[in-house]
Amino acid sequence: MAEEPDRDVYPEPPRRTPAPNPQSAIPNPLNLVYAIFHYGVDVPVTAFREWMEQHHAKNRYYYYQQTYRRVPDLTQCLEADFPCIYEAELQWKRDYKVDQEIIKIMRDRLTACMQREKYDADQMCAKEKEQFTQTSKAYQTKYGDLGGFGNSKSCLMKQKHRMIDERKAGQQKVQH
Amino acid sequence: MAAMSLLHRAAAALGSRRVVPSALRWGRFPELLRQSLGVPGAVAAVRHCSHGKKLFTIKATTYYDKRFLRLLRFYILLTGIPTMIFIIGVNVFVGQAEFAEIPEGYIPKHWEYYKHPITRWIVRYVHDPPEKDYEKGLAIVAREAERAECRRKEKEVLRFMRSRGDGPWYFSPTPDTLSTVRPQMATELCHVHPVIPWCLK
Repeated sequence: MAEEPDRDVYPEPPRRTPAPNPQSAIPNPLNLVYAIFHYGVDVPVTAFREWMEQHHAKNRYYYYQQTYRRVPDLTQCLEADFPCIYEAELQWKRDYKVDQEIIKIMRDRLTACMQREKYDADQMCAKEKEQFTQTSKAYQTKYGDLGGFGNSKSCLMKQKHRMIDERKAGQQKVQH
Repeated sequence: MAAMSLLHRAAAALGSRRVVPSALRWGRFPELLRQSLGVPGAVAAVRHCSHGKKLFTIKATTYYDKRFLRLLRFYILLTGIPTMIFIIGVNVFVGQAEFAEIPEGYIPKHWEYYKHPITRWIVRYVHDPPEKDYEKGLAIVAREAERAECRRKEKEVLRFMRSRGDGPWYFSPTPDTLSTVRPQMATELCHVHPVIPWCLK
């Protein structure tokens, strides 16, 4: 099952459901359905869950987020220093994964905003949209057409060619 | 097939009397049957009682199919049920870890980066720590790099020795057959075959 959205990070707008205003004396039959569901399913499940949480609270243990030390980059490795290149490659792969997660978070923010605002999304979500376009542009410039077999070397070469093209464009602009 | 068995059943119910097929449909309403047939006279009515007489109908065997399904269920559940009981017990009584920031000055063990207790157990007692895996990878890379460097140097030295015609490496001296068997070819140089040292292969 997908993770439940964090209600603190992506808050929902306040509900505008009107208070019940029954026009007839007949009671709403749906209340019976809600009551059956509540006492038949909700209460037992909640009770079991609370009992379980009591058990867990007795011996609690934690997990942490792994932090990796930074190692020299591919640009700082000597030409035939293969262990250094291997370490730089692993670090590049970790950074690639982190950047992918960043893009996912930006996209989730934008979609949460659009879901919240619905028809007003064009006006109210401009900031999130701007952030998402900027980050995805940066992601595309760095990792964009590397393909499934991309590695730190191909990424570095892509950057090199981009810098060469920018320099050429600058020189042409100066000439004209 | 079913119609035939129904017919058999109807015939058996009435003894040896042959029944018109449409009697099966209109058996309870003889008047309608008489009208549909357009024939006056006595019409046999089908009497349905106690689901008809039980007959031994001939059909293909399902023994092997049922046996397969029975054995499949048995062998899947033989280990499946204990596994499910164990996993449910772990989830209910031990519970998953909670996320926390790394405390100051504390270096977590390598299994304390995982949430589920079974995963933590596997990482702690089955897998190698990630530092060891990292060093293993680095060791493989370094060893292969050294071997590649040796091979490169060997090729370069052989190239030089061949082009210059000299070299301090070990060569096996061959008998001077050219000057004895064919003295007219003694002016050509002998080929020297360097023996490759054992450590570089």
